[in-house]
Amino acid sequence: MSMMELLMSGISAVFNPSMFFMVCVAIILGTVFGALPGVSATMAVALGLTFTYTMEPIPAIVFLTAIYCSSITGGSITAILFKIPGVPSSAPTTFDGYPMAQRGEAGKALGVALLASAIGGLISAIAMFALSQPLTAAALQFGPADLFAITFMGLSILTCLDSDHVLTTIISGLLGLLLACIGQDKMYAVQRLTYGSQQLLAGVEMIPVLIGLFAVTEVLKQTNPKKKRMTGDDGIGGGKVNTQMPSIKEILSIKWTLLRCSVVGTVVGILPGAGATIASFLCYTMENKISKYPEKFGTGIIDGIAASEASNNAATGGAMVPLLSLGIPGGNAAAVMMSALTLKGVQLGPLLLTNQPEYLSATFVSMIVTNILMVVVAMAIAKVFAQILAIPYSYLGPIIVMLALIGSYANQMAIADVRIMVLAGVLGLLVKVCHFNSAAIVLGLVLGSMCESNFSRAYLMSKANLGAMFFRPIAGVIMIVCIILLITPIIMPLIKKNKAKA
Amino acid sequence: MFELIINILLFVFLGYTFFTHVLEAPVPVKVQNNPYALQPDVWPKAIIILLEICLIINIIQIIKRNKGKEDFTLKAFASSIPEFFKSRMFLGIVILIVASLILETVGFMVTALLILFFYGMLLGERNIVRLLIASVCITLFLYIVFSGMLSVNLPRGTIGFLRNFALFLESVVAGVKGIFG
Repeated sequence: MSMMELLMSGISAVFNPSMFFMVCVAIILGTVFGALPGVSATMAVALGLTFTYTMEPIPAIVFLTAIYCSSITGGSITAILFKIPGVPSSAPTTFDGYPMAQRGEAGKALGVALLASAIGGLISAIAMFALSQPLTAAALQFGPADLFAITFMGLSILTCLDSDHVLTTIISGLLGLLLACIGQDKMYAVQRLTYGSQQLLAGVEMIPVLIGLFAVTEVLKQTNPKKKRMTGDDGIGGGKVNTQMPSIKEILSIKWTLLRCSVVGTVVGILPGAGATIASFLCYTMENKISKYPEKFGTGIIDGIAASEASNNAATGGAMVPLLSLGIPGGNAAAVMMSALTLKGVQLGPLLLTNQPEYLSATFVSMIVTNILMVVVAMAIAKVFAQILAIPYSYLGPIIVMLALIGSYANQMAIADVRIMVLAGVLGLLVKVCHFNSAAIVLGLVLGSMCESNFSRAYLMSKANLGAMFFRPIAGVIMIVCIILLITPIIMPLIKKNKAKA
Repeated sequence: MFELIINILLFVFLGYTFFTHVLEAPVPVKVQNNPYALQPDVWPKAIIILLEICLIINIIQIIKRNKGKEDFTLKAFASSIPEFFKSRMFLGIVILIVASLILETVGFMVTALLILFFYGMLLGERNIVRLLIASVCITLFLYIVFSGMLSVNLPRGTIGFLRNFALFLESVVAGVKGIFG
């Protein structure tokens, strides 16, 4: 089947009236699910499964893909408006989205998030369609040492997250890495750092810590001064948010960010075990590192939002690549889709694209349609969510606490996660007072487990030879870049100081 | 002074952790005897060592930065403690801790009701009747949306009548869903 025939078959699958209607329903459902804290993209896809029981396999994958893509975008709405990421991969969106909202630029922040999401999603869909098989082959070349190098690159941002408090930011990142060690270790299931608590055996999940450090700490901070109602100064303009698309000039200023993050997001999405959350953190750190104004990241700039949102949506396309070409899910949501297809008797594996290329074309067209339509849908849903902000703070504050509670509980249905969330909220106050850095703690926690397990695996495979571990083209180059990135912000001030003395 | 105390406490706590809690179960013999395996305690111990070094440097920096300042004394710190315990923020922390502790026993609905009502009062709402009605409505709304419609199994509680009420509400939502679906 030629490329054009393939494309036409995809268009005919998606653009028949009943399927198109179902895609629209999926976009609305996905965006709402994504915007609700505690309903992750995986959960959104799982909830969507019930709608697909009576569908044929191709409409089912089209429907689920639409839910998946739009849920990732929906997560940015609450991340910007409430500082509660709707889905974990929207966490870095809070870093710049919420400060923008506090400045009264919530509409603009949402506009950038939606545009970046659409561009990221579209680029990854095209990459998926055109390069599915070679991309999968390339991704399978990545060994544990390379994956460790990639996660280490994400950690290398620590030295420049807060240039005024480099040391405390490094301490925060290390604390995050230590938190990720709690529970049974991933390689040998040996119990560590639980202090005898059974509830900590499963480890510390990122979601409750994230929600605690960001949302609960914020509410606790607002508890001291009596607050009547959210005002323009709080960023949300009394509940009226008009999503405002960025100007051409602004789009041009972030064009390379959008492109870079879309490409990196797609590649990270393909990597097994990585996914949208790692992609968004990695791209946020990468953009921070290469930006001409890294000190502005975290203060509310569109570059930060674009990096996070373009990459997490690009990861959705990436996650579909190994699923369709090899029958291996790239992430949790893809695994749910895989189970949906398996239930319908579809034989997943390398022969799927050879024998039934319609799956690829239908998924591709579904992603294209979703990424365009979801901009409009998300705008409308953002308006509804923004109405909540017109509520007096004596009602809104407790509602945020309740959403935080549900969000942390629903992740694993564990009461321990709620306690961790409350603890993280209180610790968030200490973090502020001691000039530690909440984002660095979360970064360490997100990347810690992947970093350690890949390092252990690479160490074992190289027979404890660290030199051999990194004497590989991908890992070697990335590690050199990491070391340069890591020490530059520490060494540069010293060099400048010496020059000034001379 | 508070920052210094926290850093010292963290330093001591991590030191204690290093010697007592990094490994809490025996490493399998197979792993112990494998010379190429990275032992499970190496990674966390390496992090703790790095943390301890950074904390020492940070403690020295804090002392240097605040040397000679009037409020950088234990006395000044001690005098600020009662103020904190009288603050609304402290009460907020208490509400959240209590809620997280009772959630399993009394279930989601009672916990939500208590948080919405007491935190609302703490944030300055004086119209108690309106606050109570709003708390009940928001609780029911959240329960119906998340538990009934999104199938999030929110805690029903272990107390008989509260659990039965939660089950009753879920059956009503399921019934309504059945009619429409």
